[in-house]
Amino acid sequence: MVHIAGINLPDNQVARFALTSIYGIGHHTAHRLCARLQVHDRCKVKDLSPFQITSLASFLSSPATAPPLPRYPLARPDYVPPPPTTPIHELQAGFNALQKKKKINNSDPLKNMKIEENIAHQRMIGSYVGRRHAMHLPVRGQNTQNNAKTAKKLNRLDRH
Amino acid sequence: MRPSQILLKSGRSAWKGPYFIPFQNLRDALTNHEPVKTQARSCTILPNFVGVRFLVHNGRDYTPVLVTQDMVGHKLGEFSITKKRFTFRCVIF
Repeated sequence: MVHIAGINLPDNQVARFALTSIYGIGHHTAHRLCARLQVHDRCKVKDLSPFQITSLASFLSSPATAPPLPRYPLARPDYVPPPPTTPIHELQAGFNALQKKKKINNSDPLKNMKIEENIAHQRMIGSYVGRRHAMHLPVRGQNTQNNAKTAKKLNRLDRH
Repeated sequence: MRPSQILLKSGRSAWKGPYFIPFQNLRDALTNHEPVKTQARSCTILPNFVGVRFLVHNGRDYTPVLVTQDMVGHKLGEFSITKKRFTFRCVIF
């Protein structure tokens, strides 16, 4: 019997399926968790090592603050390594720049949309779209005799 | 970034380029400050339209539009409203 997150996991169950009895963990999440902790597919709960159990418990207690896994990306086929004479700090700078770029790409997609900025632009040049936003009315030709509730609620010059 | 990208914010395919009307009297209009009267509401505003006064048809009459730098890439019709504001009117016989 293993006690994790207030739930007793029965010894004879396969670890991947036993994890789904915890609230909020489905089959997919359980599979990812097992991959994270290097638990093989047929592993029973009784075969889990103490280290795996403690790391599992610590991960489930605060998944957001868990340390990210180290990643070892494979090189692409068209990758050309830099010449061996390049100094190490140059390589490091290049790698850091790459990581920073990746992080920006992976960030919240809504942040890159600049909705507010676009609406302000439309209003500033006085186009039809900008006017409709200012009037709290639908922008794309929807009916306004009835309904249009979403537009009346959301269409503002200063959204969010 | 390709320069045409700015003009192709709408879903129009890139090989066609922007839709526009080659106005004959554009240069005269720019020097003489004469408005260009047009019904082509779907004409894309090109960078060489900047500063020109247009009179764009809205289905009833021609509304004045002064093209500025920020309007490039939009259509002429976007700046000439076609809808009348609703008002209550007392009907007297």
